[in-house]
Amino acid sequence: MVRTAPLKVVKEAELLSAEASLYEIRQKIYPRSVSGWFARWRVALVMATQLLFYGLPWLTWNARPAVLFDLAARKFYIFGIVFWPQDFIFLAGLLVIAALSLFLFTAVGGRLFCGYACPQTVYTAMFMWIERKVEGDRAQRIKLDGAALSAGKVLRKAVKHALWISVGLWTGFTFVGYFTPIKILLGEMSHLSLGPWETFWILFYGFATYGNAGWMREQVCKYMCPYARFQSAMFDADTLTVTYDAQRGEPRGSRGRSADFQAKGLGACVDCGICVQVCPTGIDIRRGLQYECIGCAACVDSCNQVMDKMAYPRGLIRYSTENALKQRMTPSQMAARVFRPRVLVYIGLLAVIVTVWGVALVLRSPLKVDVIRDRAALMRETRAGKIENVYRLQIMNTDEQAHRYVIKASGLSNMRIKPVAPVAVPGATTQAIVVTLEVDPAKIKPGSHNIMFHIEDIEQPAIRADEKSRFIIK
Amino acid sequence: MKCAMWILWPSFLMGGVAEGVFFTLFDPADLHVFGNPVELSRTAVYTLGFFMFWLFAAASSSLTCFLQRNGDEPSR
Repeated sequence: MVRTAPLKVVKEAELLSAEASLYEIRQKIYPRSVSGWFARWRVALVMATQLLFYGLPWLTWNARPAVLFDLAARKFYIFGIVFWPQDFIFLAGLLVIAALSLFLFTAVGGRLFCGYACPQTVYTAMFMWIERKVEGDRAQRIKLDGAALSAGKVLRKAVKHALWISVGLWTGFTFVGYFTPIKILLGEMSHLSLGPWETFWILFYGFATYGNAGWMREQVCKYMCPYARFQSAMFDADTLTVTYDAQRGEPRGSRGRSADFQAKGLGACVDCGICVQVCPTGIDIRRGLQYECIGCAACVDSCNQVMDKMAYPRGLIRYSTENALKQRMTPSQMAARVFRPRVLVYIGLLAVIVTVWGVALVLRSPLKVDVIRDRAALMRETRAGKIENVYRLQIMNTDEQAHRYVIKASGLSNMRIKPVAPVAVPGATTQAIVVTLEVDPAKIKPGSHNIMFHIEDIEQPAIRADEKSRFIIK
Repeated sequence: MKCAMWILWPSFLMGGVAEGVFFTLFDPADLHVFGNPVELSRTAVYTLGFFMFWLFAAASSSLTCFLQRNGDEPSR
């Protein structure tokens, strides 16, 4: 499509005003603190996820960290399982499972992940808690920011930022602790002997946390998060969202507690504006579903408290669905709509993938072998007139225990193999073995012959690998 | 400010993906630069690799952002 811009002389002032409207000036949001059922759920989830995140690197398993992504050795340890780069498909599978679960939760419960479990929400909740402890609640923070510079203001701001930065750095330290054993990292830190790359990543991740949870906050959800934009594709008219019941609430207006509002022609909304004040993204839920809404239900909790004070029934703002609101459904009617085709398809796909993934993981062979022909010489003639070919076998023991393997070869008659003795490979290591095959040229015609190596565990013959290669006689 | 976010953030995500895929397939210890083996530690190569991927993705995002401006906006 070609658009032609009308030619005109643009005055400086017009240009400036046009520019100003191109960029939204961010209004700082001062969310008011909330208490209630959903706020308690959020606190519980913040605790659970952060106990997991900060705690996991300290757990030990088989005298090593239970969870360690040892990038330097290219091995991932997750409790009893060791993942090698060749197991990439399992991590890819895990990502697919995580994505599908997210689709499922979203289709049923809307932005549950955003509201309760997303790191951005969780860290913002932690940082806001610190902010509230240091600077006070909404009204006090607005006053403090508006106040003239004073020693008290500088002190409060300094304490807040110092605490934020400490949490950020501890988060960065924990993050790096997933890649370098955290106890070693702590030792290095106390001796001031941290490596430059570790130092860099602790600072980088620490300041990313500080910046995102302290400064960026809702802007991450509004402008940076791709999930916020495409989650509407998983929504339908039966998806739970935080909804304002306009039919019950409107027309809104202030009134006395004892006033008969219906006689005055008013709805249940007292227009106190608390739902707007508590909103971490600064929206008014009464305008309907907006993409900025992260489904945190802070407005639900706060509105319920107001309804209690007014002695009105709760739930003017509540988790509901588009259909439920339109058709005035009861909660059990709403629950019956959960198992609709879209949800069943997600559950089915998820079940299939989780099963395949689990079975593949259990059946994964703890032995992998690569055969490389010796590049220096195609073949060699021995003093006894026999022909020798040399191979390098990379034997990977992906198990945590040591294993002993015997190497055999087949494909040509009277083939002799060296070494004959079993090879011991310690747990979670790769060993390169030079193997020599020898045949009598009188019985075999010149050319390239297919052969097969068989590597077998001595104690557990079920653990075995067969690898093809070629034997060359000139 | 928003444009900076739109450049830096998606490229950060793609940098992470590229890093993951590339270094799963290639071991830094096997890499050669102009025929000479890389003598840095794996951790160093991973870090430099990540920033290189991020930089390239950011360059692509910047071009997208730049080309998205329509012709009658002043170019600065």
